[in-house]
This record gives sequence, C-alpha cells and structure tokens, in this order.
Amino acid sequence: MALIETKNLWKTYQMGSEQVNALQGVDLEIERGEFVAIVGPSGSGKSTLMNLIGCLDTPTGGEYYLNSKRVSQMNDDELAAIRNREIGFVFQTFNLLPRATSLHNVELPLIYNGTPASERQAKAKIALAKVDLTDRMMHKPNELSGGQRQRVAMARALVNNPSLLLADEPTGNLDSKTSEEILKMIENLHREGNTIIIVTHDRNIASRAHRIVSIFDGRIASDERTERAAVRV
Amino acid sequence: MIFGGLLRLAFDALRANKLRSGLTLLGVMIGVTSVMTIVSALQGMMAAIEADLSTLGPSSFVVARMAVVTSDEMFREKVKRRPLKDDLLPLIQRGCPLCEQIATRALTQARVSYRDQALRNVIVLGSTSNLVRIIDLEVAQGRFHTPEDDFYKRNVAYIGETLREKFFEGLDPIGREIKIGSDKFTVIGVAKKKGSTFGNNQDNIVIIPYSVFDRQFATNRWGTSFMVRAASVEQLRDAQDQVRSVLRAQRHVPYNKEDDFDIITADQILDMLNRLTAVFRLALIGISSIALVVGGIVVMNIMMVSVTERTREIGIRKAVGARRNHILFQFLFESLMLTLSGGILGIIVGFFAAKGLVGLMEMSMKPSIPAIIAGLLVSSGTGVIFGIYPAMKAARLDPIKALSYE
Repeated sequence: MALIETKNLWKTYQMGSEQVNALQGVDLEIERGEFVAIVGPSGSGKSTLMNLIGCLDTPTGGEYYLNSKRVSQMNDDELAAIRNREIGFVFQTFNLLPRATSLHNVELPLIYNGTPASERQAKAKIALAKVDLTDRMMHKPNELSGGQRQRVAMARALVNNPSLLLADEPTGNLDSKTSEEILKMIENLHREGNTIIIVTHDRNIASRAHRIVSIFDGRIASDERTERAAVRV
Repeated sequence: MIFGGLLRLAFDALRANKLRSGLTLLGVMIGVTSVMTIVSALQGMMAAIEADLSTLGPSSFVVARMAVVTSDEMFREKVKRRPLKDDLLPLIQRGCPLCEQIATRALTQARVSYRDQALRNVIVLGSTSNLVRIIDLEVAQGRFHTPEDDFYKRNVAYIGETLREKFFEGLDPIGREIKIGSDKFTVIGVAKKKGSTFGNNQDNIVIIPYSVFDRQFATNRWGTSFMVRAASVEQLRDAQDQVRSVLRAQRHVPYNKEDDFDIITADQILDMLNRLTAVFRLALIGISSIALVVGGIVVMNIMMVSVTERTREIGIRKAVGARRNHILFQFLFESLMLTLSGGILGIIVGFFAAKGLVGLMEMSMKPSIPAIIAGLLVSSGTGVIFGIYPAMKAARLDPIKALSYE
C-alpha cells in the first residue's frame, strides 16, 4: 500500500450561511520515497489538502490512509500522536518557540512522546548536526538568520524520524540564495530516502520535485512526473 | 517522564514573565495571608483560652452566683440572685460525699503598696489553702499558704508577676512586707507569669488565706464561690448533682424553677465560648476569603491573557504532537505553581501576622499543622479552580487556527 492514499476526499467549510467546498473528491496516492510538489493558486484548496495530509484536520467526506492507518476517522488526540510519530512539518513562518533555544525547539516533538531527557538531548543534537547548526544550539530564534531558523525547523521535523516531511512554502520568507540552500537540503533529505511533500505556488520551486500535483477549485487538475524523476530512474 | 517535562515547561514560561508571575503570585499571597492570619489568630486565641482553663483540672468545677454571663439580659437576671455564703461549705461537705476537695473563694479589688510604690485595682483573692489541690497553681518562687496560715489567720500573700515586677525588680520578694489596703502582709510566694486573656491581666493578683480575707474585706457583695474537685472524672456529673441538690434545698428553689446559681466546668466554659464565637469566627474567615477569591480571579485573568498571547505557541506544540492533556496540564501546572508558591509565602507571612495580632492581646501561639495543610490545599485548590478554564481553553484550540493566529 502507498504511504499516502486518499479516496474521494471532501472538505466543506461553513462560511456564514454559505457552504464552501474546499476539496471536492481528491484521489491521491503517494509512495514511500517520493518527492512531490503540490501546487495551485491561492484559494485552490492546496492548503486544505496539506492540512488533511498533515493530520491537522479531518475530512468531511472520503477516506485517508497514512502508512496503512485510516486517519480520516481519528479524534484529536489520536491525530496528535500520528503527527508526532509520522509527520515532520516545515512552515513558511518557521513556527519556532521564540523564547526557547534551538536545542529545545528541536527537542519539542520528543517531549510529547515521553522520550527521557538525556536521550532527547542526544537525538536533538544529532538532528541539529545534520542541518549544520551544532554551533547555534543554544541560540534563540531571534539570534538566528532566516535560513538558520528554517534549518532549526527542519531539524525539528526530522528528529523523530517521521515517515513524511511536509513543507508548506518553506522558502516563502527567504531570499533566493537562502532558498537555494534550503532546497538543496530538502533534495539531500530526499536522496537519503525521506518522503517529501512541498506545498508551493512557485512553479520554479515545484520543478525541483519529481512529481507535481496541481490543484484547482478543490480538484486535482494535473498530476505529472518531472524530468528529474526520469533522471533518477 | 512526560509530567516532569510539562512541569519544566510551566516553570520556564513563568520565569520568562517574571514581573507578571510575581504580581500574580502577590495577589494569591495576599489572599492566603489574610485567611491564614485570621485562622491562625483565632486558633491561637482559642488555644490560649483553653490553656488558661485547663489549669482547672478535668474533674473540677466551679459553683458561683454567676460563673458565666453572655448577654446583658443574662446579667440583669443573674444579678438578682442572692450571693452564696461561706456557711454553705459544711452543708456541701455533708451533702456531697463525691466532692473530694472544696475550696472557698472570694474576690475584691484593692490598692497594694510596697514602701512608696503602689498598684491600684489589684485583684485580691481570698482562698482556702486547698486551692492548690484543685487548680494547677504554678509557683515560681516560695510557696502558697498552708492550712495553718488559714487557721491562724496569718497575713501572708502569694503575689502575681505584675506585683513582683513593680515592687521587687532585682530584689528577693520573699519575706518582704506589702500593704493590701491599709493592712500589712508578708510575701510568701510568687506565681509564674500567666499573661492575659481578653485584655485581663492575670498576673495583677494577690492571693491571701480565706479567713484573713473574710476578716479584712468582710463587705464583699459578690459573696463567695466554691471550687470543687470530684473524686474522679467519671463521678464529675454525680458530684455536680449532689452539690446542686444541697444548694437548691438550702436556697429554697422551687422544683419547677431553674437553679439560682451556676455550676460549670472548664469544658463547659470552653464549649460555650466556642459556640458563642462560632458565627463570629465563620464571618471573619468568610470576609478574609474574599481576598483569596480576588487572588484566584487575578490568576484566571492572567492565565486567559497568557493563553491568548501564546495561541501560536499552542498551535506549534499541537502540530508537533502535543495532545489535549499535555497542553491542559502545562497551563494547569503554571497556575498551580503560581498559587502554590503564593500560598507558601502567604502561610509564612500569615503566621507572623497572626503572631503579631495574638501578641497584641498578650497571648502566645505556635504554628498549627492543620492550618498549614489547609493553607496549602486552599491555595492549590484556587490554582486548579481558576486555572482549569483557561487551560481547557488552551487544550481545545484548533491547531490550524492557532498556527495562523497573529
């Protein structure tokens, strides 16, 4: 079974007296080890899809299987446990705890699965080393550059060895040079075997992926392999 | 352990907002202080009174024209009673075989002087020598008078601490001559310092043999009273009844009328005091708890602000896998830490405030373990009660909305 499998996924919001169908029957399969970009203009439903894939939200209709587990029917706490174990998030705005050090930020997911303190620190240090931030371990986010902050966020996403790395406009707040740095790092992670989904509205960034899924009006408009995929195969 | 981690998170959050945490803690502290002060002071007061009354042993009781007066009406009623006379003694002795010791006592006030120094309004107590067998008279120096002193009507005086301090500071009082009114007395003993109850200085006293009192101060309109020790605690009630029938018969009280005298034990006095002050004490505790409720509201308010302010933080924590209970306990621990540390400070400050208050009434007090435990429970209870709503609000936040909160 694929890592991600959605069947006829619907999401309907109630906006006042009006019903808005953000997703209208999305069928998507993503295999382990894939590097997928989800693209689409704002309002297309790609953020909604990302929230569902990331288990931050539940669909109003259809099925979603992540790693063979049916998550579409799970409650808040079960979803939290899935997010903790299976998914690493990287956000456009980094979403680091402002008053905590890099080390503590990276430790965060481990706190919630009850990893003992010493093991937590050791794992967090390894993750920070992977993103070349060993020397910035005790710095707080406001003492770091944008690129460094995003690398802390990536270390946090990876610390628990998730099945899926989910990046929402990861370069949206970065200059082009730093963006390139982050994209290289994502490509490296993919080469090491991680499954990666990037959500973006930028076609150039999407082209770095091996598969592009475009969303329009809550439906999959196209789903195609890029030439990079061909290179790899 | 997850709880250890959550405690740490709560502590770090409080430390990051030192001023705010400090002010909130102060609010709780003031609340707990006010309750603790009142509760401890009341307890100290009751304990002091109890200690006073306990000098009268558990098998002893007082027979008097009016032993307890709790209201004006009662006073007006009781003041009409005929005084008891000391000629009752042989009748009681005959009618009450269960009465092991009966001391006759009478009181007046007089001027007491030593050379050129004088004290006015000193309580002069005339008592038979067997008083020492009924009351725990704590002798500091010298002795109490003996049956011989009483029999031969010797002018001897057993004085309280106030008199010793005034007349004999740095001197040995034993054998010196003081004047009570215009009569000379030889000091034979000094009582230990007792302090005051309800502003009555219990050391401003001189005790002389009853026979001497009867001769010198015969015109005492209050009459005499008796202090009786029953043969045993079990026979206390029976002894009281024997005394009661003797007095009713001698004073011709009709069978359908109440006693025209009081028979009372230390326990009964304490009970009555407890009952009379119960409403008053509850009201005081109630009023002082208002401050605690205000403290709790301060905690709740701050926690609400804190939850709103940290919406994004909550979103991040939820995104990386925090469950509802993780968030709930993190915030609950914060309010608990605030109220518990405020409570501990409040208990300490409250104890000293109560000590000062009780000290003003010239009583002493010790820290009470139940009051401390109650203080801790009340302050942590405040933390839970006023912290649970904000914490639940935080726990229920939708991660997507929380993450996009500006």
